[in-house]
Amino acid sequence: MFGEMEKNSFSMAYDDLGDKTTINGRKIELLFEDGQGKPDIAKSAAEKLVHSDKVDMISGGYSSACTFPIAGAAQTMGVPFLDSTGAADKITTQGWEWVFRGTAAPASHYTGALFDFYDNVMHPKTTALMYENTDFGTSSADGYKAICEAKGIEVVFDEAYEAGAVDFKPMLMKAKAANPETCYVISYVMDASLIIKQARELDWNVDLFVGGAAGWTMPEFLENAKDASEYVASTTLWVPNVAWPGVSEYYNGYIAKYGKKPDYHGAQAYGTMQIIVDALNNAKEISYEGIRQSLLEINPTTVMGPIKLENWSDEFGHNYTNQNRPTTYVVQWQKGVLEVIWPEAAKSANYVCPVPKWSERK
Amino acid sequence: MVIFGQTFICGILLGGIYAIIAIGMTLIMGVMKIINLAHGALMMVGMYISYCLFTYCGGIDPYIAMFLSGACLFGIGYLIQKYSIEKVSGVETILPESQVLLTVGIMLVLTEAIRLIFKSDYRSVAPWYSGTSFFVGDMSISIPMLIGFGIAMAFVFVLHLFLTRTDLGRSVRATAQDRDAATYMGINSKRVTNFTFGLGSALAAVGGTLLLPIYYLFPDIGHAVLAKCFIITILGGMGSTMGALFGGLALGVAESFGATYWAMGYKDVVGLIIFIVVLLFLPGGFKSLTKR
Repeated sequence: MFGEMEKNSFSMAYDDLGDKTTINGRKIELLFEDGQGKPDIAKSAAEKLVHSDKVDMISGGYSSACTFPIAGAAQTMGVPFLDSTGAADKITTQGWEWVFRGTAAPASHYTGALFDFYDNVMHPKTTALMYENTDFGTSSADGYKAICEAKGIEVVFDEAYEAGAVDFKPMLMKAKAANPETCYVISYVMDASLIIKQARELDWNVDLFVGGAAGWTMPEFLENAKDASEYVASTTLWVPNVAWPGVSEYYNGYIAKYGKKPDYHGAQAYGTMQIIVDALNNAKEISYEGIRQSLLEINPTTVMGPIKLENWSDEFGHNYTNQNRPTTYVVQWQKGVLEVIWPEAAKSANYVCPVPKWSERK
Repeated sequence: MVIFGQTFICGILLGGIYAIIAIGMTLIMGVMKIINLAHGALMMVGMYISYCLFTYCGGIDPYIAMFLSGACLFGIGYLIQKYSIEKVSGVETILPESQVLLTVGIMLVLTEAIRLIFKSDYRSVAPWYSGTSFFVGDMSISIPMLIGFGIAMAFVFVLHLFLTRTDLGRSVRATAQDRDAATYMGINSKRVTNFTFGLGSALAAVGGTLLLPIYYLFPDIGHAVLAKCFIITILGGMGSTMGALFGGLALGVAESFGATYWAMGYKDVVGLIIFIVVLLFLPGGFKSLTKR
C-alpha cells in the first residue's frame, strides 16, 4: 500500500510535469522495479536498473531497511540516488556523496513540532517510548530519547519490539504500569493498528498517544484501527493543507485519479519526482556526475516545500550529507480525519489534549 | 501479580490457536514422515478464503466461514497430496528429501498466486467483536481470543475422539505407526495419506481463520506461522496430537513471559531457544515423557 501510493504519486507527478519531462528532445523515462520490501531484493533491483536498464539515476525506497542497501549500492556504483522516504539517520550520515535525501527528514528529526507542542501545551514530565527494532525505529527512538533527556522529560518506559507480533499486550501492560503522561510509538501501519486497539483493550490511558509518523498517518491505519484511532496524534512531514504551491492540486488530483487519500508518503514521492525533473533540466550534461552536480545546485519548491540538498550537522553530533532540512507537523485523528494541530500557524483544528479516557468515550 | 496473570492469559489464549495449526502439521508429519513446509501457505490460503467470505459474501462471520474454508482446504490438500506429492514418493532422486523440496515449491506457488490476486496489501477482518474485551479483576481478556481458544480446544477434542474412536481415525494412526503393517492389515494407506494431508490443511485453515479477527492478513503470513508450527511440533514430539497441543500452549506462554519479563523484541528468540534446548535434552519432545 505504501509502495502503491508512492508509485502512483511518482507517475502522477511525471504526467503533471508534462513538457518538463522532455529535455533537448529526449524524454525522461520512468522505470519501476519492485523491491518487495526485502532488503536483498531492493538492492538487486537497484543494480538491475543501473546495469541492465542503464538508468541515469535512481530514486524511491520506502522502509529504511531497504533504502540503506539501495543507497550503499548507488554509492558503490557511483550513481546518483535520491531517497524519497527511507528516513534512518544513517542513510545520509555516511558521507556518501552519491546519496541524496530531499523529501524525508532524518528519523531523529521527525519530532521538531512535537517537542514544540510539549513545550508550549503539555509540559509532560514523563513519557513512554516504544519502537520497532528496525533502522527507522531505532533512529527515531534515539533522537526522541536524546531530546527528552535535554529537556528533562523522564523516559519511564523504553522498549523495542519485533514488527509483526500478534500480541503486544505484554509490552503495553508494562508501559501502563510505568504510568507515563504521554507516549511515543514508532510503528508501521498494521503494528500501529494492533497496538492502539490493544491499548484500548487494556484500558491504558495517557494524556496524548503520539505515533512516530510512518504507519500512524496512513489511511489504512484508520481503516484497521477504526474508532480506536480517535485522538491518536502523530508526527508527520506533510499535511494536505500546507501552503506550498501545487499541494491542493496534488491532493485533490490524487483522490480524483486513484479514489484514495494520499498521506505524506505520497507527497514525498510526488515531491521527489519534482526534484528529479528539476535536476535533470538543470544538469549541464546527462551523466552520473552531471546529475550529481545539478542536485547540489538546484533549489526547487515542491509539494514538500523548498528543497536544498546540503551538508549540515545537528545537536546530536550527526553530520548529514546532501540532506534537506526538515519541516515537521503534529497531526491528530479527529472523527476519522487527520487534522493538523501544531504548529499553530498551520493548524486545521484545535488539539484535543489531554484526550478523554477510553471508558469515558461512547 | 496483575502483570503475571495477564501475561499467562495472553500466552495461553494465543497458544491454543497456535496449537490447532500445529496439530495439522504434526498429523501430516506423523503419517508421511516429512515436514510439510507448505503448511503455513495452506493456512494463508484458508485465511484468504475466510477473508473473501467475510468481505465479499455479505459478511459471513469468520467463525462460520472457517467451516467453509476448512472444507475448501481439505479438498486442496487432498488434491495436492494425490496429484503432486504422492507422485514424487519412491522416485529415485539425488536428494532423498524430494517430497520436502516439493512442499517448498508448493509454498512458493501458493504465496505468489495469492500475491498476484490480492497484492501484498495488508487486509483485516473486523466483525463487531474484534477489539472487544472484558475485565476479570484488573486483567483484560480479549473476546475474539477467548472464542478462538475455545473453538481450537473443541476441535482438538473432536479430533481426539475421531482418531481414537472411528475406523478412519484408527487407520490414520495405524498408518502413522507402521505404513507397511497397516497396508498388510488391509488399510488403503495411500487414501489415508491423502485424507490426512487434507485434514491437516483443513485444521490449518481453521486455525488461520481463528487468527483473522485478532490479527491481519498478507501473503507472507505463512512464513512466521510455519516457524512456530515447526517449533511446536518438535516440542510436542513429531506426530503427536496431544504433544502438539501442549507444545502450542507452552510456546504461547513462553513467548508471552519472554515478552513481559525479558523484552518484547526477543519474543521470537524465546521460541528458538526452547527449540534448541528441546532438541538437545529432550529430542523426542513431550511425547517421550509420557511413553517412558
